[in-house]
Amino acid sequence: MSKKTWALVALLVLVGGILAACGGQTVVEVTRVVTETEVVEGEPEVVEVEVTSAPVEVEVTRVVEVEAVDPEETTRTGGWLDTIVIVREPDANAAVARLEAGDMHMYADDIAGEAATQAIASDNIQTRTQYGLFDELLFNIATCADETKFNPFSNMKINEAMNYAIDRDYVAQELYNGLAVPKYTTIAEASADRGRFAKEIRELEAKYAYNYDKAVETITAEMEGMGAEMVDGKWTYNGQPVTLIFLIRTEDTRLLIGGYIATQLENMGFTVERVERTSGELSPLWVSGDPTLCEWNLYTGAWSQTAIDRESNSSFEQYYTNRVLPWPLWALYAPPAELDEAAAKVFNADFASIDERNEVFRTALPLSMEYATRDWITSRTTVVPFRNEVSVTTDLAGGVSGAALWSKTIRFADEVGGAMNVGLPSVFTEPFNPFGGSNWVFDQMVIRGVGDLGIYSDPNTGLGILGRVERAELTVRDGYPMTSSSDWVTLSFEPEVVVPDDAWAGWDAENQVFLTAADVYTETQTALLKSTVYYPADMYQTVTWHDGSPISAADFVMAMITAFDLGDPASANYDEALVPTREQFLSAFKGVRIASVDPLVIETWTDAGSLDAENAVQTWWPAAAYDYSDAAWHNMAVMLRGDANGGFAFTPDKAAANEIEQANLVAGPSLEVLASELISATAESYIPYAPTLGQYVTAEDATARYNNLAEFARRYGHYYISTGPYFLSGVFPVEGQAVLTRYAAHPDLASRYAAFAAPAFPVTEIDGPARVTIGEEAAFDIFIDVFDGPYPVDDIQSVSYMVFGADGSMVADGTAEAVEDGVWQAVLPADVTGAMAEGSNRLDVVVVSKLVAIPGLSSYEFVTAP
Amino acid sequence: MAANTITGDFNINAEVDVESIEASARKARMQGIKRLVRYTLLKLVALVFTVAVGVYITIVVANMGGAVDKIRLGTIRESVALAATADPAFKTMNSEQRVAYINSRVDLEIKRYGLDRPFLVRSFEYLWDGMTLNFGFSQQLVSDSGSRLVRNILLERLPSTLLLFGSANLILFFVALFAGLSLSRRYGSMADKVVLALAPTSAAPAWFYGLFLILIFAAMLKVLPFGGMVSAPPPDNPVDYLLSLLNHMILPMAAWLISAIFLTAYNWRTFFLIYSSEDYVEMAKAKGLSDRMIERRYILRPTLPNIITSFALLLITLWTGAIIFETVFNWPGIGQLYYRAIGAFDTPVIVANVVLYAYLLALTVFVLDFVYALVDPRVRVGDGGRK
Repeated sequence: MSKKTWALVALLVLVGGILAACGGQTVVEVTRVVTETEVVEGEPEVVEVEVTSAPVEVEVTRVVEVEAVDPEETTRTGGWLDTIVIVREPDANAAVARLEAGDMHMYADDIAGEAATQAIASDNIQTRTQYGLFDELLFNIATCADETKFNPFSNMKINEAMNYAIDRDYVAQELYNGLAVPKYTTIAEASADRGRFAKEIRELEAKYAYNYDKAVETITAEMEGMGAEMVDGKWTYNGQPVTLIFLIRTEDTRLLIGGYIATQLENMGFTVERVERTSGELSPLWVSGDPTLCEWNLYTGAWSQTAIDRESNSSFEQYYTNRVLPWPLWALYAPPAELDEAAAKVFNADFASIDERNEVFRTALPLSMEYATRDWITSRTTVVPFRNEVSVTTDLAGGVSGAALWSKTIRFADEVGGAMNVGLPSVFTEPFNPFGGSNWVFDQMVIRGVGDLGIYSDPNTGLGILGRVERAELTVRDGYPMTSSSDWVTLSFEPEVVVPDDAWAGWDAENQVFLTAADVYTETQTALLKSTVYYPADMYQTVTWHDGSPISAADFVMAMITAFDLGDPASANYDEALVPTREQFLSAFKGVRIASVDPLVIETWTDAGSLDAENAVQTWWPAAAYDYSDAAWHNMAVMLRGDANGGFAFTPDKAAANEIEQANLVAGPSLEVLASELISATAESYIPYAPTLGQYVTAEDATARYNNLAEFARRYGHYYISTGPYFLSGVFPVEGQAVLTRYAAHPDLASRYAAFAAPAFPVTEIDGPARVTIGEEAAFDIFIDVFDGPYPVDDIQSVSYMVFGADGSMVADGTAEAVEDGVWQAVLPADVTGAMAEGSNRLDVVVVSKLVAIPGLSSYEFVTAP
Repeated sequence: MAANTITGDFNINAEVDVESIEASARKARMQGIKRLVRYTLLKLVALVFTVAVGVYITIVVANMGGAVDKIRLGTIRESVALAATADPAFKTMNSEQRVAYINSRVDLEIKRYGLDRPFLVRSFEYLWDGMTLNFGFSQQLVSDSGSRLVRNILLERLPSTLLLFGSANLILFFVALFAGLSLSRRYGSMADKVVLALAPTSAAPAWFYGLFLILIFAAMLKVLPFGGMVSAPPPDNPVDYLLSLLNHMILPMAAWLISAIFLTAYNWRTFFLIYSSEDYVEMAKAKGLSDRMIERRYILRPTLPNIITSFALLLITLWTGAIIFETVFNWPGIGQLYYRAIGAFDTPVIVANVVLYAYLLALTVFVLDFVYALVDPRVRVGDGGRK
């Protein structure tokens, strides 16, 4: 090849590289000449905005020295790390290889299959387990409109008997390679109710354990009762083979599960037509299709859980009644009156006490197994892999990406500082904006990483824990079964919770003022509860947005205004897609009042309750108040201007209808609109909703904030600000990277949430006699450990036991007694053993911790003899 | 009337009517131009029609003849209901409110996707928008920077695709071309035998070699990156950025070259061998011309149309990227985008991609006709017409 050709090729590569290099940077049209070197510290200054077109400088800390210190004694504020670089890595197998090689420190997706197996086997990688996806066998329970068609699963006894035909241990151990656990009931693994009803669930597990012969016996009897005949080993109806159309999902292990169950059904004499398709191809049948057409009989369904469930309130209502999902199949659900009533009670929290709720649950659980609209199969366990030197909080249901505290705890073990690479399957998947922005869990992980909350959810129990809120008071209507287990919430009950006339209860979008309860209601309103939150007295001095602007009451008021305004047709920012959101908000909201501006105290009256007082507190924190991301009043003001002027729209629906872009605070064409609106807003010292917000913001405040935002945008190339321990310092959409840098001005110590770094699972072991003499007392020691030490008795909620005889039936149950930290004892009295039959038995122990929702389970085999 | 005398070996003193000749020449020129214009127009119409038919078939296939509407409707109902049930505020609603809430959300989505209008109507709208290059907004996909404009979605991914595949393919093309030419002159040599023996290695795709290269150089030796475009975080200095970019291109380019170089060189070598055995080449050899002159004048020149065709088609295939290859190397190219668009049934993005490729292909075919005529004197427009 000639030199000219080589030169040409080299030139092309070079030009391409330069083009790509240029394309990788974001350019916005706002800049400002300043001499500040650290935007995140110090008081914001007021400076003029100069309009130019200059590329944004993205400053990123890349290599940082680390120092070894005792984490308990740290004075470091903000995050433990100096920099977190989130990189796009769509392939879980590649991610594990990169973790192994040290090219990546954590892969923040929940992985399964071969990648998970490799990660678990690695010496360099540790894994954390989540329970967030449940498999089911969904039945079409319709009676076919065409009488020549026959649907066995219109018979609930057959559906119930199918429980015996599914060997869940086989599915969990063989088909999932151990990355799943058997699931029998509607209650999620990662839920508080899993602990509350551990004993009842264990009983049902024993009752519905795999028993193929029992399945065949029951199904045969029912099939014959329905007029079917077994001919040459095949079920027939009216002379035709009974053919089951089995919809089997192909994207995951459900393909294998479907194959296994289909084979079991074929072994019973059914003819099975396996329709193996993807989600999109099958949903028209089972979601939208008319079930009475009998175009399908069975479906390998699955449901997901994105965060640990404190109250499984919809467990029965959603899966066994027609009151939640408006789908044709669900319309056929007509549970027995007792289950129907229990489902409604659980869903609406219609109890006088927790004990009453527990009783309703105990009633509903076995009934839901009998009214088998579906048979639960497995609860999948996925793992989050990270290198051994990494420490991080994960949510028992949501993993790392679903844990609000992930960035508050992530660090290199025993080190402070450093740069960490975190992989995610997708980065900047969809636009970031507070009303209609990305709800992808991967984007939300970035949003949570740089954000803060008034109240967090305990990643191990789902119980509310303190964030920025200092304390709260709840006044609840008498008879509502709410309890408090934290000292930061004061819970009281009153016969009636009245909404005061001066509380804000509505919004006049034309005049941009709140309407009071007296304006909105003709009669005095009552609410389920009144929530009063107290923010720290020094909050306005210590908490700043990432552009340096101190937080203020206006940020909270803006959240209140927009809750009403955007779904109001009279608003300049009206968005039809936000009407349902507004309606949903109003369905429980009764009123709000700012009792004190400084220190900030907010009272809220609402019908939205919770069994836990901690989870019923209404904070109005400017992150929690919006659906999809954080916002200060001033960057919200710029967004609202962009929306009102047609530059972009918050929701994809409005954007599509008007053929404009969707608002995006971090990248893309929205940045130009935001820059332009920011310039105008600065020039006008613009205060949005001035008749109301003007009471909390001065023109000088507004100018100062806009200038801070302009400087932030100039430095970092975007408009996304929050109040968390890291800020978004680099946005690289095409390269698929997001850079989070420690926000030194954050008021909290890096160690604040260190206690949540790892879940305190109870590890249980039983020791006792291998042979028990019938009629004599038998004692079994139960050893409960956590991490490397004994589990404190105070942190244990209950230790219960059950004894199952050789035939699988429960012959005894009770609660164990604490001996000392880490040691409990279960004693079978003489009269109990005296009633037991001779033979082998199994002692099951269920340990429920106060610190983690998933109970510890352990079994012990022994024999009884005279 | 002016008259000239033309002197020649055959017709001395013959008088010729110059005006008549010029008129004939003008007429012939005009006829030639007319023929050229007619040919051009017919060719253009045929190409546009072909593109339109191809694009419409794509629209129908991508939407499964309208069946995608059902799939999308089912997906909307499912996703809206599941999102609602996951929202704690949903639990505060009564039964009627819940149903109304979900239905209103579903209606909004139906409207957004245009499912409230028949597919047939929408299919022709897609076609018209595509053919007029009015790509508009996507239905689901967003660009990396969050834009829903199809133009932005494509343009953001195009530079990285062109950079990687442009570089790799240009190197491949010229190396293989000149290696093939060289081998054709050394038929039966050791190098020729080696290339012949290694040609079957191209049976494995580039991503297959990519996996091995990643395993060796990234996972084991740790000297090159696993994938992606640049290091994490991306360098802020353009020079460092460029160096990082080149570093990330080494493995994918190597995989691309390894997978194709031997077979491509073998193809060219075989192609050139045919021309190398032509009589005029033998004559040139007999005249004692140098190998270099023979290659340039007697082999490369008559094969130019084929080489140009290969090169032109190569350039437009760069647009398509390579789905698995980009996935293996985590390269943010247009192949991955196209794959996502197909999976999401995002018709505007699919149409835009197909239309762009079809127009480029049509344009290439169109231009190549003229290029052939320029580089090969044997090519004529029509029967006996002018070049």
